[in-house]
Amino acid sequence: MALRSIWNGTIAFAGVFVPIKVHSATEDKTVHFHEVHQDDGARIEHKRICPKEDKEVPYKEVVKGYEVSEGKYAVLEKEELDAAAGAQSRLIEIEEFVCADDIDPVFFDKTYYLGSQDTGKDAYRLLHDALDKAGRAGIGRWVFHNREYLVALRAIDDVLALNTMRFHDELVSVKDLELSTPSRKPSSRELEMAGQLVESLQADFKPEQYEDTYRERLLEYIDAKAKGKVSSLPKRDEATDPGDLMAALEASISAGS
Amino acid sequence: MPRALWSGSLSFGLVNVPVQLVSAVRDLDLHFHQLHEKDKVPIEMQRWCSEEDKEVPYEAITRSYELDSGKEVIVTDEDLEAVEPRKTRTIDIEQFVEVEDIDPIYFDHPYWLVPAGDDEGATRAYRLLLGVMEQSDRAALGRFVMRAKEHLAIVRARDGALSLTTMRFHDEVRATKDVASASGKSTKPAKEELDAAVDLIEALGADWDPDKHDDQYRKRLQKVVNKKRKGQKVEAPEQRDEPDAVPDLMAALEQSLKDARKKAKA
Repeated sequence: MALRSIWNGTIAFAGVFVPIKVHSATEDKTVHFHEVHQDDGARIEHKRICPKEDKEVPYKEVVKGYEVSEGKYAVLEKEELDAAAGAQSRLIEIEEFVCADDIDPVFFDKTYYLGSQDTGKDAYRLLHDALDKAGRAGIGRWVFHNREYLVALRAIDDVLALNTMRFHDELVSVKDLELSTPSRKPSSRELEMAGQLVESLQADFKPEQYEDTYRERLLEYIDAKAKGKVSSLPKRDEATDPGDLMAALEASISAGS
Repeated sequence: MPRALWSGSLSFGLVNVPVQLVSAVRDLDLHFHQLHEKDKVPIEMQRWCSEEDKEVPYEAITRSYELDSGKEVIVTDEDLEAVEPRKTRTIDIEQFVEVEDIDPIYFDHPYWLVPAGDDEGATRAYRLLLGVMEQSDRAALGRFVMRAKEHLAIVRARDGALSLTTMRFHDEVRATKDVASASGKSTKPAKEELDAAVDLIEALGADWDPDKHDDQYRKRLQKVVNKKRKGQKVEAPEQRDEPDAVPDLMAALEQSLKDARKKAKA
């Protein structure tokens, strides 16, 4: 199945240009609902109402306002918002290449796959293979939907992928947390036992092992309801407090072996 | 510290670590209101029934799910409760995996886990799990329920605390094989081309330093807002042209490499 492209443009670094198209790499499968009126099951519509005139406002009469003080707004025109987006361009400019493994995953926001264009296939392949060989990710800027993103360009499998990135000040640092510490550190015996427990639960990461069971249950339930038969579902137990750490560790290990 | 979004316990084997979940990201975006152009009054969103053409109070609203057939099924709060996973207060660790084996494409929203309270038992159990994960360089995979939805999550040691990230499920990540990747014999780069490209990448190599990349968009938007506040005019930038694909890739690489080396020397 061919993927729909959401943007077309060119990767640029140091005088090298690679034409690409952008595809979403992920799709949200959360079950979404429509709002309906309880009385008649009819769809709910959201209407924009001007409270002063108490009447509906057509979309073309809506402007964006920034609240500068309580109840006071500065109106921003479309051209002014465009000014903030940065120079509109069809270029993704790569400024530098960093070790791909040095970027903690918390920085990665959304992932996109880059497809090659009919022209510049050689350049696409070369950039992919070189990134893969160097183990590096390109860091650059991308203007998409009127907003500039920090992006990381890297090789995944056989394709180039682009990640939009969170900015450093958007991340909550460990220094912002209140981490209470115990008066006594875990003993080496406890650490050793916990290590054994970790080892006993060791496995390779196989994403297809994990199904969204909640989504499955919800869709099954809806299906059953549509057919007029709804079944009840079993309950599960709650966990208890930590209690005796050492005893719990020992019990867990003997239960596992 | 950010507000706790969830509290419960992290459980592995028979060990339970009481924890609280806080977001690891903060929203710094500038937010705008929709205004009516004529009178600059903030727009109100009202819910109207499409059949009766009248406003519907929030309590009189329920939800429906549209089946593939187009048929709609009403789903009430009670229906959602019936499927809601029961185990709502535990993060159940099922396995320990290598962090490097998980491509970041699976990572969704990052959170921090902090010990719930300063109780000795809770904080020691927290330190123990943190210590053993730091030692083994492994991450814990588990499931937990937040806002009535079950999430797959990865818990790992990061900067001396436990970090939790919700994960995308495998069927939410698209296969790379559907992407045009120009792979094949005819496009396979020659060794000298690949070496030159790797050299160029290395010449443009830098350490990953997140602090040096600021959100220019947010800064510019803030400037625009500040100017507006003072009643100044804001001008839009010009459009730029798109370059053509480079016909002679090798020549471009060599030139770029020369330039990059010159720059590095200077």
